[in-house]
Amino acid sequence: MNGLENEAADGHFEPLLQVEMAMGTFLSDWHNCDQLSTFMARMISHNRTDPIRHSNFFSFALNELLEVSFRGGSLDGRIGCAVYRHGPMERVKLTFPCPPGQRQFYREAVSKTRRGNAYARYIDAISTDLAPSREAVLLDLAINFDARLRLEESDPPQITIVIDLPLEGIVS
Amino acid sequence: MSTTALSPFNVEFDPNSQEFSLSGVIRPRSVDEIAASISTLKGAIDQVRGVLYINVKRLVQMNNTAFHAFARVVLDACRERSDLRFVVVTSSVVGWTERMFGHLNKIEPQVTVEVYDSKFYPGQSFVENASFIPILRTQTKMTWRHERAILPRHGIRPGMVMADICCGIGDFAMLVRKEFQPARIVALDHSKASLAYARDVAAGFGITDIEYTYGDASEMLLEDNQFDFVTCRHSLQIFNQPDVLLKELYRICKPGGRVYMTNEKNSHCLGEPRSQSIQWTYEEVAKLFGHFEMDVELGPKSRRYLAEAGFDDIVVESFMVTNLDGDPQDFADIIAAWENVYAGEMAVKRGDPPEFIERFRQGFRDHIFAALHPKGYAGWPIWAASGRKPL
Ligand SMILES: C[S@@+](CC[C@H](N)C(=O)[O-])C[C@H]1O[C@@H](n2cnc3c(N)ncnc32)[C@H](O)[C@@H]1O
Repeated sequence: MNGLENEAADGHFEPLLQVEMAMGTFLSDWHNCDQLSTFMARMISHNRTDPIRHSNFFSFALNELLEVSFRGGSLDGRIGCAVYRHGPMERVKLTFPCPPGQRQFYREAVSKTRRGNAYARYIDAISTDLAPSREAVLLDLAINFDARLRLEESDPPQITIVIDLPLEGIVS
Repeated sequence: MSTTALSPFNVEFDPNSQEFSLSGVIRPRSVDEIAASISTLKGAIDQVRGVLYINVKRLVQMNNTAFHAFARVVLDACRERSDLRFVVVTSSVVGWTERMFGHLNKIEPQVTVEVYDSKFYPGQSFVENASFIPILRTQTKMTWRHERAILPRHGIRPGMVMADICCGIGDFAMLVRKEFQPARIVALDHSKASLAYARDVAAGFGITDIEYTYGDASEMLLEDNQFDFVTCRHSLQIFNQPDVLLKELYRICKPGGRVYMTNEKNSHCLGEPRSQSIQWTYEEVAKLFGHFEMDVELGPKSRRYLAEAGFDDIVVESFMVTNLDGDPQDFADIIAAWENVYAGEMAVKRGDPPEFIERFRQGFRDHIFAALHPKGYAGWPIWAASGRKPL
């Protein structure tokens, strides 16, 4: 996990919490996504204006990210999740091993969340897809949680999804 | 982290109200895990005529997998059944439900979203209004003199995990925090104005450990069995369904923990001299609140409410806030604040004629006269009651 070393590039974001575990352990139980996101959301929200509702929103977003890495995950390596704060914004960095064949997929999925037609894509995904793709999940975060996403690939085979969540402003 | 089962969720369909409800935490790995709920929704769609209400007021969490699955069924039904409308009932407390379900309307206009708690009980506009703030502030100042001695008799102890539900401007939470040092205190209200005030005051004192949260006391996000001591002051009496609120207080209380509440019996406010005018006005206060479906006569009914909600070891006592408790001007300030809201706003809203309002006001003025009179006596009776949630 190299989240903290990368902080220099992240300006004023202050580290709040970091969790790391073997991919094998993470993938052994689907409920890990729910439990980790609930636990981490509570920990980081206690000093937000409305801790309970902040935690509810944050848990939603983090759970989706964890589910994304769960669904695409392979048993080797480690998964790390670090949360930072700057003013009304939380930054989550989720780092996990990504097979070469999937890197392009993540690059595209993340960049689609930043394009002008993101909303149209999202609506299209809800109205036609049977189950949400990982791409639709990232669009959901961008559209419903005003999240900004990007990808860091400095340490292959790990990739890091970096997501900025302005939840304090949405919640209160 | 321990592996407990995924938090439970509930899916229900009530054919009488044509309402399908989803509640709790719904985070399935695949649609198969919620197949039964999906078929309940499909069955509901087959049965109803006109409108199907989809109630997500108590939906605490839902992942995209579940959202897409339910959305899919609703959207398909829109395409097949032009005779059917869907109303998704969300809560302003869980804001993402409003956003997410709101998109369905863009796809199929037959689906609309209603935020149920924007206008959900008859007296809401009065008690959530900023003009209520002075009332609350003076009231708590007076009642605290009594309650700091009363609370230990109802089981409050230092180090407890506490919640103050319908916390108003948060002054009680501040006082309790100082006097009884809870390990944690959550303070919930549905008035944004009061919460903003509460947070401001706390920040002014450098206090950061009171968790003020916006919520609906009758549909709280708080989990079951969490708190050692739950307080709810002067608020059961302003709900049109006090039993619903009490059920929630019971739910969040730990087994063996206690729920403590205070309520009034407004018609028993009293004063000398000018007792008759005072008595007339307060009997009218009770009727006025009744008009807006609030029961400010609830105090002595506390024992029954607690018993019917399933509490045991019920303790009820009453106390009288009077002009002799401290500075009589404090008492007079409470009455002046009541006059402003009750006569100045509520009676006007009910459409009362000016002669009535004038006589109504006179009783408050006489109560103030009694409070400030050198030989006068003025009182405001309150019932403090608590019960234990059985182990
Ligand atoms: C009479 S005040 C009492 C406030 C406070 N407990 C006190 O004693 O000063 C009633 C409070 O209940 C709040 N309230 C009313 N309906 C509510 C609801 N559904 N959920 C949460 N709070 C509510 C109002 O905003 C108001 O602050």
